[in-house]
Amino acid sequence: MSARPLQRVGIALLLALVVSCMSSNPAKLTGPSGKITLTYWSATNAQELEFANQMAAEWNSQHTEVQIKVEPVPSGQSTEEVILAAIASNTTPDIYASVFPGAMQDLLDARGVIQLDEYPDFFNVMHERMPPELLEQYRSFDEHYYQVPWKSNPVMVIYNTRMLREAGVISLPTTYSEFLAAAARVTRDRNGDGRIDQWMATIDYFPIWYKRLFDYYPLYLAATNGQKLLDNRRVMFDNEHSIAVFRFLHECFARGYIPRQLFQGDAFLDGRVAAKFTGPYSISHLERYRPADFEYSFGPVPHPDSIAGQTTSYADPKSIIIFKTCTHPREAWEFIKFVISRQNDLQLLELTSQLPIRAGLLDDQAFADYFKRNPRMVQFAEQVTTARSIDSVAELKEIFDSIAQEVESSVVFDLKSPEQAVHDAARRSQQILDAQ
Amino acid sequence: MQPEEANKFSMHNKTGVGGQVPGAGKAGVGSQVPGAGKGPSSPTPGTRHLTPDPAPGTRHLTPDPVGYLMVLPYLLHLVVFVGYPLAFAFVLIFHRWNIYTPMKWVGLGNIKLLLTDQLIWRALFNTLYFLLIHIPLQLIIALGLAQLLNQKIRGRTFFRASYFMPVVVSGVVVTILWQQLYATETGLINVLLHRFGLPGIEWLGDPRYAMPAIAIMATWKNVGLYVVLFLVGLQAIPADLYEAAELDGASAWQKFRLITVPMLNPTIMLVLVLSTIGGFSLFIEPYVMTGGGPANSTLSGILYLYKQAFFFSKMGYATTIGFFWAMIIFMVVLLQRRFVETEAL
Repeated sequence: MSARPLQRVGIALLLALVVSCMSSNPAKLTGPSGKITLTYWSATNAQELEFANQMAAEWNSQHTEVQIKVEPVPSGQSTEEVILAAIASNTTPDIYASVFPGAMQDLLDARGVIQLDEYPDFFNVMHERMPPELLEQYRSFDEHYYQVPWKSNPVMVIYNTRMLREAGVISLPTTYSEFLAAAARVTRDRNGDGRIDQWMATIDYFPIWYKRLFDYYPLYLAATNGQKLLDNRRVMFDNEHSIAVFRFLHECFARGYIPRQLFQGDAFLDGRVAAKFTGPYSISHLERYRPADFEYSFGPVPHPDSIAGQTTSYADPKSIIIFKTCTHPREAWEFIKFVISRQNDLQLLELTSQLPIRAGLLDDQAFADYFKRNPRMVQFAEQVTTARSIDSVAELKEIFDSIAQEVESSVVFDLKSPEQAVHDAARRSQQILDAQ
Repeated sequence: MQPEEANKFSMHNKTGVGGQVPGAGKAGVGSQVPGAGKGPSSPTPGTRHLTPDPAPGTRHLTPDPVGYLMVLPYLLHLVVFVGYPLAFAFVLIFHRWNIYTPMKWVGLGNIKLLLTDQLIWRALFNTLYFLLIHIPLQLIIALGLAQLLNQKIRGRTFFRASYFMPVVVSGVVVTILWQQLYATETGLINVLLHRFGLPGIEWLGDPRYAMPAIAIMATWKNVGLYVVLFLVGLQAIPADLYEAAELDGASAWQKFRLITVPMLNPTIMLVLVLSTIGGFSLFIEPYVMTGGGPANSTLSGILYLYKQAFFFSKMGYATTIGFFWAMIIFMVVLLQRRFVETEAL
């Protein structure tokens, strides 16, 4: 037991070593010809790497004095840990483009990133891209900005419209009762062997914290019209909206609309379940693997019947940061402005199907052609300015873990009432926040 | 204390003798005068050690620096791998530390959190539940098997070896094997249950059965070790006790109850303590099989500590749990010693 911290230090050192081997320190220095080289870490998926490479190549051809070197972020248990290890060992690159805003507080505590609102044109550049109230979601506790909100993958519900139609459901459900009514029709035994083999939806209920970012959290945001979970380190989610979300999920499980089983393979693609929470990334996946007669459509995250009109969801945003180790932050900032330019935002959409956090995407002539060719992306684009980010506290993981634990015991296993579960999750979260 | 003293004593004695031999040899080969001159003085330290001291409190042993040098490897190991981590862990109790950022003093924050933390009590409850199933099962099966394997039966060595096998096999391997056995649809156990017309059990997916399932597996894995311990105990029981009992007309059950069990009491105590400590350090099984779920029904203290340290990077809180857990184990073992051991005397 007592050896664990030591072991942990060992792992950290090892990780730091790996990171230091993979990042190229000399790249930070000005080369022999007086050229500046900036290292840019991109997310590791093929599409994003391709986007980064194309964009960097273009920049490099226009700016001979400042060259960008693209590297995929080294792999580790989690990207967040890799970044923190890199900060601890002073082996960070200059720019990293896929920060989870929920992890920003950790990066600030580690004193690893530079303040961006020091640049005189920061607010001009940002406000040109998004309304001030949207930007404010990304402000830190000290009232300053350390990240550039870049892209988002708003969470929605994808439906197998063919399955719904066959069950007699014509329009996509938007409220809890519509969803439950549709579920009652869809969930059934198709082959007549006495066992249910078709369900309304599936949720990976295994209590891993980040999984609740894609079911509980969007449902909560939809029910509260975008309220935060925390306010200045006070837990705010011990309320009737949370209880309503728990109750809704509880009902789905209790009636068997969401099965208490984890599927092997993609149950949605196989036509075993008719709905799941997802983001725009599932479009390219489905387009690639779906059978010819597979029909699907995206609907909003269900909300309580008492709410009318447009609701909000979780944006699943990613931000760009500049590390403290960057020796040419001004040049890095210039490059970031290039990354978030209109032309590259379009490129981002084309190559990765992820949405730039930019207001008025649908009214902008520059994007009109893209959305004409990709009509399914329109719904997601509509969410870009309304979808919410996430609170950033160092304890975020544990707070979501508390919620995940209670979802499991109340919603899935029916061991306590939704009221009690929400209350327990909130109390535990507050205790964790207070312990420091 | 006593054996250590004896060790020192004999070591000094040896060096005394060793030192003397070349001296004596030289004295023999060389001139006799310096040898004779040395003679009376050099044996003195040796004899001083050899003669039992009348008053042990006033005995003065001359510290030999070589001795310190010889224990240095152990001392180094002790300091680096036990002392330092232990002291560091103690300091961590009062801090918040995620390794990457500097430590932050939180005073009694971690302790306060521990006292209000329902999950640590849940882990304690789970552990006790585990022990409640595991220990009786372990004792009965191990003692029964030892009794059987103590008879003259064919293939005795084979059976002894095969019961010991799971002890040697890696815990992760055993756990993964049992995971297959426990699988709800395809697992061998449920397939057998279905064959006998019984409904299958969601062994690892149901909060009611997950912990018993783990306890059964742990028993299967460890029973071999305890069989060996009991075998040793059984063979140490003098045969004449049984003979005398037989002459008095005792039945097999009476012999077992009145001779075997009381005579095995020290072994039973050992098995009890070892399985209790084993139960409190339960980790691999829930970590690999269930991750502590469903609904925290298999969360063990060490697994909780691990999660705090490695999922949430809360080194301070994890060490707080560690110390708390060590304290509980210490108290439980103390209680067991008091109640189980004295009962027999």
